[in-house]
Amino acid sequence: MAGTGPRGRMERRSAGELESEVLATLWATEQALTPAEIQAEIGGGLAYNTVHTILKRLYDKGLVLRDVDGRRGAYRPSKNAAELTAEAMHEALDRGPDPIATLQQFVSGLSPEEERALRGFLDGYPHSDGAGA
Amino acid sequence: MRIDVYTPILLSLLLAAVSPMVGRRVAPALAARVLAVSAVLTAAATTWSLLLLAVTLIGQAPPVVADARADGHPLPEPVPGTIAVAATLALLLVVVRVHRAIRAEFGTRRALRTLCAGHPPDTELVVAASPVPQAFAIPGSGGAPGRILVTSALLGALEPAERRVLLAHERAHLTHRHASLAAAVALATAADPFLAPVRTTVTFLMERWADEQAADAVGDRSTTARALARAALTTRRRSPSCALNFTDHAVTRRIAALQSGPPPHLWPLAASTLALGTLPALGAADATGDLLRLLEHVLT
Repeated sequence: MAGTGPRGRMERRSAGELESEVLATLWATEQALTPAEIQAEIGGGLAYNTVHTILKRLYDKGLVLRDVDGRRGAYRPSKNAAELTAEAMHEALDRGPDPIATLQQFVSGLSPEEERALRGFLDGYPHSDGAGA
Repeated sequence: MRIDVYTPILLSLLLAAVSPMVGRRVAPALAARVLAVSAVLTAAATTWSLLLLAVTLIGQAPPVVADARADGHPLPEPVPGTIAVAATLALLLVVVRVHRAIRAEFGTRRALRTLCAGHPPDTELVVAASPVPQAFAIPGSGGAPGRILVTSALLGALEPAERRVLLAHERAHLTHRHASLAAAVALATAADPFLAPVRTTVTFLMERWADEQAADAVGDRSTTARALARAALTTRRRSPSCALNFTDHAVTRRIAALQSGPPPHLWPLAASTLALGTLPALGAADATGDLLRLLEHVLT
């Protein structure tokens, strides 16, 4: 799989999917990121210009802020809508099993033995090796 | 009235019994679809059978009996009266349960819509600035496209390639309309509680299905397995007491499945399951014919 590589797959992704990925990258880090840093983080042959275009679109939608932390050209996600969503989500989760617990969630819980086994599984890989082994 | 009227109930027990095996052996996308269709057909047939049994009470109503005696008709005793009464009560229970399931479904959709408030409508990803690691797909409604909700805590815990897995997994739920499939099976189980194991299996299969799609999109099964492991451990660290409530080993089974090759389709097993889902409908149809003949006999 590694040979046919991430590049081919990267090009197949739609603009909407790349937008999600750039936004997810910005949310995943504490500090503001420049387009070059985002490009390096995502990797896999995404063109600098593409990153730049996506950031502009996110900025126009008010989802990211520009020139933050005194760094020219650095981006950070804007928090307002995300904080409202978090509030609504906590409220819905607190209301009991319905409605959100019935949703397909990404992962369910673990028993202590499973936790140990999964830790062992992840220890086989260094934490920042990026794409697959 | 012959044994036919009882077959849907017996067959729903059989479908429930074989569903875990089908789920383990058949490719998840195929198995989930086949089991969901079978469950819906079986639940419809079971409910119809209850209705047929309840209707036989009409044949035992005093005016009908008096009429029949006056006409000199010998009145057949189709179904013991106690069974007809029990069927009527069961039917009422079905109505209550289905009503409750429909309300729960609408409640969920409503709650999900409020989560997207304030986010531009043409953006797929909705981030919640929350320390609780959480991710789920929000199905589209009324022309609006589906969205993916992920919390900042979960995004921060994953590696870049693993974030791609998470997004592809949730996207697969939206593309393949898993919310509708889940709702159909939930309604079937509300109508026929014997089908509960089918629902559990289909729920698990939809996650496996989305995992397979994500592995395909990212092009790497082991990265997909690692994303699941990392997300599960992050969730566990956050709320260890809550996580103890689940002991279905779902994540571990999903990771194990990703570490082996993609599962085979096994069409014959899938076709047999579908046939098993169709049988109750045939039984119910046959029983309907019996009842119509009976009523014709009584009421003319």
